[in-house]
Amino acid sequence: MNGFQQIDKLSGVAGAAALVVLAVAPLVFPGNYLIGVLTVAAIYGIWAVSWDFMSGLTGRENFGHSLFIGVGAYVAGVVNVQMELGPWWSLPASMLLAVAFALLLGFPTLRLKGPYFALAMLSAAVIMQRLMLIFWEYTGGEEGIQDIAPLIRNNLHYYWFVLVVLAATTFILSWMARSRWGLILRAIRGDEATCLAAGIPITTYKIVSLVISAAFAGLGGALYAHYQLQVSPQLFAVVTSVTIITMVYVGGMGTIYGPVGGALLLTLLTEGLRNFGEWRLMIYSLLLIFILFFLPNGFIAPLWKRVRSGWGDRA
Amino acid sequence: MNEPPLWGDNIAGQGDSMAIHSWRVPRWSVRLLASLFILLGLSVSATVDAQETKPIRIGVPTSVQLQVGRDTLTAIKMAVDEVNKKGGVLGRKLEFVSADETENPETGISAIRKLVADEKVDVLIGGYTSGVTLAQLPHIAAAKTIYLGVGAASPSITNKVKTDYDNYKYIFRVGPINAAHQARGLVDFISNFVIGELGYKKIAIVGENAKWVQDLLPVLSKGAKEVGADIRMTELFDTQTSDFSPLLAKIKASGAQYLIVTVSHGSSDTFAKQWHDAQVPVPYGGIDVKSMDGDFYNRIGGKSISEVAANFAVRAPLTKKTIPFFDAFKKLSPNYPVYTAYFAYDAVFLYADAVKRAGSFDTDKIIKELEKTKHEGIAGEISFDENHDLMTGKGKTNLIFAQWQDKGERVVIYPKELRTGNFILPPWMK
Amino acid sequence: MEILIYGAVTSAIYAMLAVGFTLIFGVARVLNLAHGSFYALGAYGTYVLTSIVGLPLWLAALLAIAGVSVFGVVVEKALIRPLRYSQLGVLMITLAVSLVVEQALFLIFGSEYRNVPAFIDTKVSIGGVDVAGQRLLTLVVAVVAIGALYLFIQRTRLGSAILAISQDAEAAKYMGIPSDRIFSLVMAISAALAALAGVLAGPFLSVQPSMHLLPIVKAFAIVIVGGLGSIPGSILAALMLGYAETLVAYLISTSWTEIVSVLATLLTLVFRPAGIFGKRAAF
Repeated sequence: MNGFQQIDKLSGVAGAAALVVLAVAPLVFPGNYLIGVLTVAAIYGIWAVSWDFMSGLTGRENFGHSLFIGVGAYVAGVVNVQMELGPWWSLPASMLLAVAFALLLGFPTLRLKGPYFALAMLSAAVIMQRLMLIFWEYTGGEEGIQDIAPLIRNNLHYYWFVLVVLAATTFILSWMARSRWGLILRAIRGDEATCLAAGIPITTYKIVSLVISAAFAGLGGALYAHYQLQVSPQLFAVVTSVTIITMVYVGGMGTIYGPVGGALLLTLLTEGLRNFGEWRLMIYSLLLIFILFFLPNGFIAPLWKRVRSGWGDRA
Repeated sequence: MNEPPLWGDNIAGQGDSMAIHSWRVPRWSVRLLASLFILLGLSVSATVDAQETKPIRIGVPTSVQLQVGRDTLTAIKMAVDEVNKKGGVLGRKLEFVSADETENPETGISAIRKLVADEKVDVLIGGYTSGVTLAQLPHIAAAKTIYLGVGAASPSITNKVKTDYDNYKYIFRVGPINAAHQARGLVDFISNFVIGELGYKKIAIVGENAKWVQDLLPVLSKGAKEVGADIRMTELFDTQTSDFSPLLAKIKASGAQYLIVTVSHGSSDTFAKQWHDAQVPVPYGGIDVKSMDGDFYNRIGGKSISEVAANFAVRAPLTKKTIPFFDAFKKLSPNYPVYTAYFAYDAVFLYADAVKRAGSFDTDKIIKELEKTKHEGIAGEISFDENHDLMTGKGKTNLIFAQWQDKGERVVIYPKELRTGNFILPPWMK
Repeated sequence: MEILIYGAVTSAIYAMLAVGFTLIFGVARVLNLAHGSFYALGAYGTYVLTSIVGLPLWLAALLAIAGVSVFGVVVEKALIRPLRYSQLGVLMITLAVSLVVEQALFLIFGSEYRNVPAFIDTKVSIGGVDVAGQRLLTLVVAVVAIGALYLFIQRTRLGSAILAISQDAEAAKYMGIPSDRIFSLVMAISAALAALAGVLAGPFLSVQPSMHLLPIVKAFAIVIVGGLGSIPGSILAALMLGYAETLVAYLISTSWTEIVSVLATLLTLVFRPAGIFGKRAAF
């Protein structure tokens, strides 16, 4: 096993190969439907990876990730529809506001131990959802903001753009996770007291990683808004956060690359289950229980590790 | 499995790891999941390969879990069967497939995607929540598929037809009459009946905080004031509200003599029950979509007695098709149809007729013929204005007001020409 | 005046929910996100037993409550206990259970609102305010139930055992107290209280598959404000929240009521994580 420091060659090659497969898939199976599903999967991948970077590494589970997503998406809506700026402005704007919220919420809540941070974030997300409904004159209320302009009209090209963003996100966050930064975050997860004794400003690290996590989540939110062409308060719902956490579980917490696979699998699963109509969410929830019991370390990451150790012997 | 502690594992036994010490990961479960996921992935890609099929496919995006959705589907089935029995349309049979749009814009958009991109339908008939339809519009327009709305009332849905004809010409509203028209219908009711016959000038207006009400309310308030109503209070409540006691107390305190409601998604059942249990001395009526359900009265133990609810049709001879349709529908379903059903039924027929007149399946030609529609529907004549919106007026589709009376009987009390019985007050107000 | 009574009724329902929630937390350190499901199942159970099976209301209610208790114990034994090492695990699994229950209810009964018959159908007038009889009954029963629970914990041996475990689980084990069995008992009580709330409130609040969400948010808010693990804290916080919400509903608008609870949670967590009567913030 190599050390923490670099992403080893094999993983890099595998990642690139996966990217190529994803990019080429809609050419092999043409049709807007698959492109649509894969675009959504890629965006969920961005969200899952951003969640994993903070919560997977530090162990401070964030049950309100949907807040940053929703903020990003709504900013895109407001910037595009109400302020009538071009669609590309929403990307930096969303990231900026998501960061602002992360700072606002991170300072007071990251000092809390135990499940309090998780639940405080959950409450914050619920409040945001409520606020969107209460101030319906500005936010469109239950039905949200419609008529957002797409970033790139061609579905396929937009999909590739999103894939690039996903790849960049995964790469950047993987690199950070394997750097000294990641080491410290993992140490925080292990034993905060020791870290403090060693003079590490844990709260600063936690807040900064939350900010980074939020920035990417917000970016994903904006991308989503420009795909759905509308935003609604549903984005802030607990279900969104739980879905993302499930994806990270399936992928393997703390691995960064695992959640991408988790996002893909679960999005495909959701679409595949569409034929089951009303049973879909039920199957989903049962699956969640199954995973929690039998596969707490995830599915993708352990699989990859097993494959790799088999290969590594030969390399 | 003795790997050194790496990412995701439990370091030093502390912190919040998910590793369950007492459970081993059964190998079979990993393999099972792997194969399951691969299979599902393949199945998704496989469904993408749908080819053109010979029958004409109608896509039905609707709220499948609600009565409005179920009735839409039943009505479409009725219509499709009848058309097919007579030989179909230009030699092709009709078939339909549904997708649940729920009341949530996100799900609505994926329902459209599924129908348009995956099922490759030729025409869309359905809809209920205005917000969902509005969210779906750009995707429908991009797919260049004709959409015949049967449930959503917001005027914004058809506004684009005039302003951006080339992109949005595919959108038509077969029903209901839009919120602005409904507001005017309600104003007529207030003016001629509530004030005119009952003599109640002081009214309270209460509605759910949804788009169609936001569109309707200004028209209603202005119109009511113009006909001499004294609006004592107006309040919009959250669709999720389950405890109406503060609201009911406010209504009582406002001195209103009659309560006008505009509710569709909100909990009419709970509202009626709480109104009844608290014996609020203010009778109510208005647009209450859930109250259009045939079993509304019975399922809440009769607590909606004396409520006057607007309907687009009841089992009365509005046109010569009305009563036969209601009876035929009752054979296929345990209840009488709600409004989406009549419009859905009509939509199938008027689409089929437009195609026949166009003599081809070219979308633009069909649109041109649809614009010329003059169809005798269940509730009245159906024709479209320049926004492809359902027109209202004499002989066309209008709002009718029916009251819940003893034993769940629905008695038409307005307009006067269609009246089948007398107005009653709530039992505690006699 | 109305505010006084309606506030009391609301507080009563919240108190029943919160007390159960805090009990299972204080004793077993379990944050049971499926607590709302017990509430929902209480209401639906009564509905099924009266409308479909046709039992008399009081019998249906009792059976529903008993059934939910058993269900709670089963969930605790089978699903929660194996995961007790991990806070997150318990949160996730109870959340998953609540989703499964919601979906099951949805599949069986559909998403439309159901009608649960009320015990008292008449109107009562107190001080010039018209109150539905059922609401008053809820208030009375809640007071009785919580009072009984309090007496049980303070006066009986079993109650002392529960207190002991909540203070120090390890020491209690050394003293020979069978903690596992006590956990199940506490879960049963917690579930029963929630189900009772569902049975009583079902007739006048909405009964539909997602009815478990709001109670859990509110119960959680109350328990945080009052202090996790403290019954008096929960009762006090329930009163505060119930009245705060009623005031907001009357004075501002019903849309803002939901925010009250969530805002209270957030503020408490940030400024005084231990809550009013809580012992400590961290774990």
